[in-house]
Amino acid sequence: MTAMKIERRRSRNAWRFDLSGWRALLTVLDPREYRRHVLGALIASFIAAAICVRLGRFPLWVGVLLVLVGLLPVGIAKWRADAYRFGAVAMLLGALLTVQGFHTIEHIAQWVQYHMLFWTVRQSVGLLSPANAEIVHFVWNWSVLIVVALLVRGGARNPLMLVLLAVAAVHAVEHSYTFARQLLVLSELRALGVTNVTAQGLPGIFGRDGWLARSAWTQGTFLCSLPGLTTATRLDLHFYWNLLEMLLLLPAAALHLRER
Amino acid sequence: MRTYLANGAGVAAGDLDDDGRIDLVFASVDNDSEILWNATVSPGAPDFTDMRLSVPNTRAAAIIDVDADGRLDVVLTRRNAAPMLLRNLGDRRFVRDLLLPNHLIAYTIAFADLNGDGALDIVAASYQAELEREAYSSQEQDARGGAFYYQRTATGYLVQRLADSASTQALAIALIDLDADGRRDIWIGNDFDQHDQIWLRTNEGWQPRGDFFAVTSHSTMSIDWADLGAAGGAALFTTDMNPYDTSPQNLARWVPMMSVTAQKLTAGDVQLPANVMQLRDDDGVWHNEAARRGVDATGWSWSGRFGDFDNDGLQDLYVVNGMVALDLFGHLPDGALIEENRALRGDADGRFTLAPKWGLNSTASGRGMLPVDIDGDGDLDIVINNLRGSARLFENRLCGGNGLLVDLRWRSAQNTRAVGAQLELRTSRGVLRRDVRVMSGYLSGDAPQVHFGIARGVTIEGLDVIWPDGARSQVHDVQVGEFVHVVREDR
Repeated sequence: MTAMKIERRRSRNAWRFDLSGWRALLTVLDPREYRRHVLGALIASFIAAAICVRLGRFPLWVGVLLVLVGLLPVGIAKWRADAYRFGAVAMLLGALLTVQGFHTIEHIAQWVQYHMLFWTVRQSVGLLSPANAEIVHFVWNWSVLIVVALLVRGGARNPLMLVLLAVAAVHAVEHSYTFARQLLVLSELRALGVTNVTAQGLPGIFGRDGWLARSAWTQGTFLCSLPGLTTATRLDLHFYWNLLEMLLLLPAAALHLRER
Repeated sequence: MRTYLANGAGVAAGDLDDDGRIDLVFASVDNDSEILWNATVSPGAPDFTDMRLSVPNTRAAAIIDVDADGRLDVVLTRRNAAPMLLRNLGDRRFVRDLLLPNHLIAYTIAFADLNGDGALDIVAASYQAELEREAYSSQEQDARGGAFYYQRTATGYLVQRLADSASTQALAIALIDLDADGRRDIWIGNDFDQHDQIWLRTNEGWQPRGDFFAVTSHSTMSIDWADLGAAGGAALFTTDMNPYDTSPQNLARWVPMMSVTAQKLTAGDVQLPANVMQLRDDDGVWHNEAARRGVDATGWSWSGRFGDFDNDGLQDLYVVNGMVALDLFGHLPDGALIEENRALRGDADGRFTLAPKWGLNSTASGRGMLPVDIDGDGDLDIVINNLRGSARLFENRLCGGNGLLVDLRWRSAQNTRAVGAQLELRTSRGVLRRDVRVMSGYLSGDAPQVHFGIARGVTIEGLDVIWPDGARSQVHDVQVGEFVHVVREDR
C-alpha cells in the first residue's frame, strides 16, 4: 500500500509544470556576452537598410535581407559559443528557434497585411517573400526539416519533437509541390510569351483550391471541405502551419533541455 | 473586344404570340435585339423565324405581362439608356415605351410582388463600372445609377432608392424569401470588391443587411435558386470566376489576369472567389456547401442554372463559361479565355458530378442562358446567348424519365402569370417544389411555365399550387407527360 502511494506521488510530480526546461531554453537563447554585438549589428544594419530603402529606393525585402545579413556574423559567433558551451543539439535548438522566430514574423506580417490592413492577397507577401516567395519558403522549410531531423538524430527524441518532424516533413513536401508547380506554370507562361508574371502564391496540396480540395477523388466528399485544411487561403494555411511548428518547437526544446 | 462589352447579354423565353409555343428574345450588346418566333411542330426539329426589334445595345431580357392585359410583353435593359418596354399589342406587333419612371441605366432587373398587393413590383440596378467606362459624368452617374425599388401603384410606380451608384455593381438580382418570414427580400449580386447587398422586408420597410450571408461569391455573376428536396432543401447558387482546371497549362492562361485584378479585403469580408451554394441549416442559417457538393469551381462562369435536365426528379446544374477581353487576356489568341460549359448531374445526396456525355460542353463563350422546353416534349432544352457568335439551342435528347409542365394563369389579378407562385408536386418519391419566376441566372428571363422531371416508375399523387396571395389550389389526376394549364378564376 505504501509503495503505491509513493508511486502516485512520483507520477504527479512528473506532470507538475516544470520551469527548469524553459529556464534552460532562455539561457540558450540569451545572447549573453554578445548582447552589445547583437544590438550594434541590429542598429547598424537597420540604418543601412533604411538608407537603401528610403534613399536608394530599393524594395523593402532588400532592407530586410540587409538586417538579417547584418545579424548573421554575430549570430554565427554566438551559436559557435553555444555549441562549445551547451553542445551541438542545444546550439541547433537555439539557432532553429531564433530563425524560425524570424520566419514566424514573416507570416505574422503577411497575416496583418491581409486581415488588418486589407491588402490584396498578392500584396500581402510579408517582408522578405516579395523577393520570391516560392524559393524563400522552399529553401526555408527544407532547412527546417533537415535541422529537426538532425536534432532527433542527436537525441532530442521527445514526442513533441517527433510530431514536429512529421509536421515539418509535410510542410517541406507542400512547398516542394508549390515550387514545382510554379516552375511548370512559368514554363507554360513563357510558351505564351508572358515573362513579367511571377506566378507566386498558387495553391498547393492543401488549402482552398489546392490539390486535395480539387482532386477528382475528393470531389463531393468531406475531404474537399475540411475546415482549414482544404478551405483556408494559402496565406492563412501557412500562417497557422508555422504557428503550429513554433508551438511544437518551443515545448519540445524546453522538454529536451530539461531532460538533459 | 472591351471588357464590359464582353459581359454579353441575356435571353428570355415566353409565348409571346399565344400559339402554345415558347418564343425567344435575345438581347445584344452591340447589335439589334431579336425575337425568334417558335414554329416548331412537336416532335419535329426546332424551327424559328426571326424578327429584329430595332432596339440595340441591350443587356437583360425579360418576358412578362407588365400591363396586365393578358399578353406577355418584352422588357430590355440597355447599355446607354433606361429600360425599354415593348408592349405586346398582339399579332406580333409591339409598341415601345419606357418601363421605369426615372432614367436609371439599369444593367439588370427583376420582377415580383414584393408588398403583397397583387401587382408586380420591380427592382433594377446599374453597373457602375460600365457607367464609368461610358464616361458619364459623376453627376450623371449619381442621377442614372444605383439600385431602386419600384412599387407598383394604381397610377404608376413609387420609386425608392436602395443604394447609390457608387456602391452598385449589379450583375444579378434575386427577389426571394431569404429569412423564411414568408415575405420576399431583395438580393443584389455585385461584381468586383463590392459586397452583395441584401434588403429584408420588414414591417418598417426595407432593412439593409450587409452581414446576412456568412459567405458570398466575390464577383457574383448570376444567382439561381431551387429546392433540392431531400438532398438539402432550398438552395441558392451564385457563380464566380474560378478555374475548373488547375493544371499548370490552364493556370498559365489565368495567372496574368489574376496578377492585375486585385481582390481587396475589407473588414469582415465574406467574399470568396468561387461559386457559392448556400443551404439552410436547422436554425435557418445559410451556409456554403459548394465545395462539398462539387460546384465551387466551374471556370469564368456567367449564367449558372438549376434544372432537371435528365428528368430523374433531381436538380442538375448547367453553367456557361468563357471570357473575351484583350486587356485581361492579351496573352491568349484573340484575347479569349476559351472554356467549356459545365453540365453537372445532381444525385440523391445533393452532390453534383460532371456529365460530359450530355454533350453540353460548348466553348462558345455563353453569357445569358436558360433552361426551357422549346419543343414541347416535356424535357428541358437549353438556350444560350453566346458572345460574338450565334446563339445556341441544345435540344434535350437524354433518355431518362418523363416531364410535367405547368402553366398558371390568374386572369383577375394584375399578376396575370402568377409570378411568385409556389408549386408542390406530390409524387410516390416525395414532394418536388418549383416556383414561377420572371428572371434568374444572368440577365435572362424565364418562361412562366414550370418544369418537373419525373423519374421512371414514379407516380404523381397530386399538384398543389400556392398562389402569390397565399391561396391554395389542388390539382388532381395529373399524369406524367402532361402540360397542365391551371387557370384561377376568382368569383
